[in-house]
Amino acid sequence: MEAPQTGGQGQPIGGPFTKFSFETGAVTDSETDWDIAFRGTSIAVNGGTATGTNEEPARNGNAGATIQNGIFSDITNAAGLSFDQDAAGSFAVPAGSGEGWYNYNPATFTVTPIPGRILVFRTHDGKFAKIEIVSYYRDAPAEPDAFSDESRVYTFDYVYNPNEGETALE
Amino acid sequence: MSLNKNNLTLIFFTLCITLVSGQVEEQRDSILTQDLDEVVVTATRTVRQLSSLPLPVTLIPKTQLEQTGVTRLNEILNEQTGIIMTPDATVGGGEGVQIQGIASDYVLVLIDGVPVVGRSSGNLDLSRFAIGNIKQIEVVKGPSSSLFGSEALGGVINIITEKPSTEKISGQLSHRMATFNHHNSNFSINQRKEDFGYSFFVDRLSTDGYDLASGDVGQTVNPFDNYTLSGRLFYDASKKLDFFVSGRFFHQDFDIAPSTSMEQDWNLLVRANHDPSPKTNVQYELYYTNYITDEESLDLLTDEVLLSNDFNQKLFRPEVRFNQKFGENTLTLGVGGNLETLQRNLFADNVSFFSQYVFSQYDFTPPEGLNVIAGLRFDNHSEYNSQFSPKLSARYEISPSLAVKGSVGSGFKAPDFRQLYLDFTNASGGGYSVFGKEVEAQGIRQLQENGEISNLAVNPSLLGERLNAESSVGYNLGLTLKWGKLTTDVNLFRNDFTNLIDTQILASKTNGQNVFGYINRERVYTQGLETDIKFNGIKNLNLSGGYQLLFAYDKDQEDSLDQGEVFAREPETLQTVRLERSQYFGPENRSRHTFNFKVFYEIPKWDANANLRVVYRSKFGLTDRNGNKLLDDFDNSFVDGYSLVNLSLGKTLFKHYQLQLGANNLLDFRGNNPLALQDNEVLINPGIQLFTRLNITF
Repeated sequence: MEAPQTGGQGQPIGGPFTKFSFETGAVTDSETDWDIAFRGTSIAVNGGTATGTNEEPARNGNAGATIQNGIFSDITNAAGLSFDQDAAGSFAVPAGSGEGWYNYNPATFTVTPIPGRILVFRTHDGKFAKIEIVSYYRDAPAEPDAFSDESRVYTFDYVYNPNEGETALE
Repeated sequence: MSLNKNNLTLIFFTLCITLVSGQVEEQRDSILTQDLDEVVVTATRTVRQLSSLPLPVTLIPKTQLEQTGVTRLNEILNEQTGIIMTPDATVGGGEGVQIQGIASDYVLVLIDGVPVVGRSSGNLDLSRFAIGNIKQIEVVKGPSSSLFGSEALGGVINIITEKPSTEKISGQLSHRMATFNHHNSNFSINQRKEDFGYSFFVDRLSTDGYDLASGDVGQTVNPFDNYTLSGRLFYDASKKLDFFVSGRFFHQDFDIAPSTSMEQDWNLLVRANHDPSPKTNVQYELYYTNYITDEESLDLLTDEVLLSNDFNQKLFRPEVRFNQKFGENTLTLGVGGNLETLQRNLFADNVSFFSQYVFSQYDFTPPEGLNVIAGLRFDNHSEYNSQFSPKLSARYEISPSLAVKGSVGSGFKAPDFRQLYLDFTNASGGGYSVFGKEVEAQGIRQLQENGEISNLAVNPSLLGERLNAESSVGYNLGLTLKWGKLTTDVNLFRNDFTNLIDTQILASKTNGQNVFGYINRERVYTQGLETDIKFNGIKNLNLSGGYQLLFAYDKDQEDSLDQGEVFAREPETLQTVRLERSQYFGPENRSRHTFNFKVFYEIPKWDANANLRVVYRSKFGLTDRNGNKLLDDFDNSFVDGYSLVNLSLGKTLFKHYQLQLGANNLLDFRGNNPLALQDNEVLINPGIQLFTRLNITF
């Protein structure tokens, strides 16, 4: 899934977010029926308020996010988790290397997902899903090369429970 | 006076034959006189016989420095048991010394008992110190903050210069040439006349440097030239009072036009030594040192300044020491102060510290055969919490051939200027910021006012809370066994570190980068065994071997592993796996096994000598590459174990001419750095370095 962005490297960051719906399992253009959205390394949720960055989608759902540490298959239930929402100045999935879902290596200029970080989401309409981001480069190469591999292309595994009121994620 | 090559081959061949046949000949017993010669001053700050000390001490005598033909401090240290010169994890970084698995940041380096300053990212570049006019190098392993204060956690390296002893003017002039267009010339002159003595030393070194990574722009070690000047004066005002003045100057320029990089270091020491009675000794000491680097990186095309780093550190230190003998026992008291200043363009303001300290030590022999040394030091500092550093060590001689020794001591390292005052935003590297503890609160506030902070990661009320000194407790327990001509030393060690200063993320910026600060966090231990075996039962032949077994780990990482909170990604399938404790390799740059073997052989009838030294270190890792903050089996960053073999052959001609030939890294080991980018090759070592040296003594 592509998540392009413009600017960066000292320039203002811009460009539309790529919105994703767990229900359809696909990228969507809908202004309302989206759960999470990607632009560069940033991940927005359809819940809370705008963070203040350029060209971000309006929040009109009740989505939320939390980061769990573990093996993907070990995270089996969303019950009891507390979810953060986007707010002015901060994403629910924290931005920055080492804080949210990725590490940035300034020596090789690569962005790699932190092993063991599982993102658990409440969708815009109150259902639950978990994802593990596997790669930030097209075709998920084992050792991405920042110069030859196309970045801002997400590969992730996800599990979505479409049943209203159920928290199980297996 | 050229030396026939066949002849040299023969010398070496003879040496090997001698080794293989292992013939033992009767010889006069010279061990006793040797032992008496071997006195050290670093362990107790009093003159003590090496073999009687309750601490692990390595002594590198002048003959070893001369016969190996080394020119710089780092080269000779790397050949000692348990002492490793480690490359910086980053390509092109300097080398640091590691003792008992403890990094360079925590090793104190002294010249004639006073500290040298000028560290880059905590690392002191030991290739700055020319080997010349040196009597011996002493290395005390384990913490010695009870005597020396900050930085003496892993050990203390003390370079002891030589005193002139003859009425006749004596000296030496030499030139050494080696691979990479290395030229090293030096000259020294010494004289002692009645109550006055002097000693001067000049050294020049230039080289084209070398490149370990051919695929990138620039060289790993750029061409440079440097100069060392040192002068010392000795004056005996009376039988009871003598004076010593020592000055040293070092200047180095890298040839990297249009950019510039200069390093300069100078120090001045004045010492008065007063013996009011045969049992009382007082030493008054004034020491000043100044270390400067000026670097400017220019863009090759536009001449635009990419990076400018000016660093100017000064230390002034008065100290008074008092030694009183009570029979066999000695009481030492000391008091002093450190006034340090630093100007650096990456800091908001010039900074200065003032710290005061007192120390005491009692060295006594309760019953015969037992020696106990108890020491305590107190350091009071303006910028971090004060430190008490006790140490207790003891040696018991069970029989003339067997002794046990043990010590427990503490060490600390003051937070450095960088950790307190750095105020740095990397404009070219994407715009991350780093703040020292004393300026972080203000720095964050400034960024917030500019609207550059998107997310604060720490509680704002905790910003600017004082750092503690990093500290350690070291335990050493050893045995010395003498059996005929064989001497064996075995030492078990353990060092527990707390409050190690680590970086933490303070906030994330709106540009996606982070703001970093410093925090006391890490708890690390190193433990293991070191052993030295010396054999001099064959005439003119000295054999020695050393081995260190090392286990070093971060305790918090071990806890996380035990709780199953550490993960890695299988490189091929990209499957996440939970790591086991056994998959954790330990901190970077630690080899489990290190080993050295040395043969020194003298051939009196030819006035020649030969020596062969082999150093081995086992596999070590360079850095975490899979983002779980520790080195594990899945990190593709391990360097395989390797050996370096150094050979040196020397012959004296016409009494005053010494010719030396040799090779460092004789087997031309080059290795492979796993951090090299795809399709590039980065070496570990530049390969064989041949050298020849002519020395004229007078």
